[in-house]
This record gives sequence, structure tokens and C-alpha cells, in this order.
Amino acid sequence: MAYSETNPLAADFGFDIGGPLAAYWIAFLRVVTGWWFFHAGVTKLIESGLNFTYGPMYLKGMTGTALGPIPVWMGNNLAPVIEAGVPLGETLIGIGLMVGAMVRLAALAGGFFMTLFWVGNAGFGHGLVNSDLMGLLLFGTMIVLGAGRYYGLDALLEKTRLVEAYPKLRYLLG
Amino acid sequence: MQQPDIIDKVALAFSAGLMLLGIVGLGIVEILAGKPYGAAPLTNEAGEVVATPAVDPTLRTGLVIFGLLVLTLWGLYRMAATEPADDHTGRDVTAD
Repeated sequence: MAYSETNPLAADFGFDIGGPLAAYWIAFLRVVTGWWFFHAGVTKLIESGLNFTYGPMYLKGMTGTALGPIPVWMGNNLAPVIEAGVPLGETLIGIGLMVGAMVRLAALAGGFFMTLFWVGNAGFGHGLVNSDLMGLLLFGTMIVLGAGRYYGLDALLEKTRLVEAYPKLRYLLG
Repeated sequence: MQQPDIIDKVALAFSAGLMLLGIVGLGIVEILAGKPYGAAPLTNEAGEVVATPAVDPTLRTGLVIFGLLVLTLWGLYRMAATEPADDHTGRDVTAD
């Protein structure tokens, strides 16, 4: 009898880590995280297009943080990139996660965004662990688990000739 | 993943240690030091600051960011140093 060892749904039902619930939950988390960013990005695109002027202003206000002068420098010198990049980046990260394509690359970019939000929002009234840090950890989870392989397009992309020719591309997929 | 070598173990332990120190370790210090318990100043209804964190949140967030940076750099090193396995997406095997 043949079975797919990486398709838990083909096996008996169980609550173990290799069981169907794990794949289901990883995919669910990925889609919800993707929707979160897609919603944030696409609503900015609708409201401001590629001219999200609040982005550079937000970064300029990040003085005295653990990131030192980096955010303020970005706000002062990369304003056009940020005005277009924030809405576009959030939207693309969201789409990537929802369809499960290039999930690790998308999640790395999402982690970068969330690091800035976590430090910049500084909502530390109840300690350092807040929703921004949890979002950051979610993106880390997507990377560690290769979440795009669970009901995502990365499972197909990893079988393409291009990826077979350049297997290190798998580090950006999955 | 291949068996972790000493570089993997040190990088992962160092990274987790930094992040846990920033979040949990200094969080315990903050609780023991009394109000505000969190990492932001406590204000009264008039908006006056009545208690400030014992540990500067910049230090705590800095430790976490440094830990994330170590983890990211280790990941990049592993990407460069390791050839991926032939197939990560699934393979059929025949059960006995």
C-alpha cells in the first residue's frame, strides 16, 4: 500500500504533530496572517495609492528606540520608497501568504515590518509581549515551518524545473 | 535538517538567550521592582507619570532585536552553507 508521508490527511486521523490538524492549522494561520497584511496594505492603496505619506512621518518619530538612528534616517532619506513600499509591500506579503507562494521571503519581509511596528508603536503598557510581537513571531513561525508547503503554491513551485535547477530557491519558498 | 553542529547550537542558544533575557528575564525584574510592572510609564488621570519602568524598554527591545538579528544571520549562513535536500514537498513510500 502506498501513502504520502508528507500528506497527513492521507493518513489516519490524529492529534499528533504529523497529523492532519497540524497541516490544517499551519495553513489556516498562514492565510489569516496573510489576510491581516493584505487588508492593511490594500486599504492604504485604496486611500492613498502609492503615496502613503504617514510612513516616513512614522519613521521620523521613532527617536530614541533600540533601532538607533536607522528608522529616522529611513524616514528622512527613503521617503518615496517608503510611501510606495509600505502599501505595496504589505499587500504583496499578504497575497504571498494567502496563496502560499514564496512564503519564506514574504514572511521575512513581514518580520521586518513587524519589528519596526513593535518598536515604533511601543505599546508596552502590559509588557513587551503585545500583539505586534505576536505578529512578528507569527511571521517567524511561517518561516520555520515552511508554511507555504501546506495547501500552498510553494508545494508546486518547489517542483518546477527552475527550483530543481537552483535548489537553494527553496529557502525563499516553503 | 542535518544534525546541528557547534555553530548551530551556539547561534540558536545565543539568539534564544538574548530574546528570552529581554522578554522574560528582565520582565521578571520589572515585576519584582513594582509598578508599573509593564515596560511603559504609568500615568494618573491627569496624565502625570507616577511610575517609570525599572529597566529601560530600549534595552529590552534591543536585546530581542539583537537576538532576531543573530537568528537571521545564522539562517543566512545556513542557507549559504547547506545544499537543500532533493525533495521537501512529499514523497511516496511503500508501507510494509
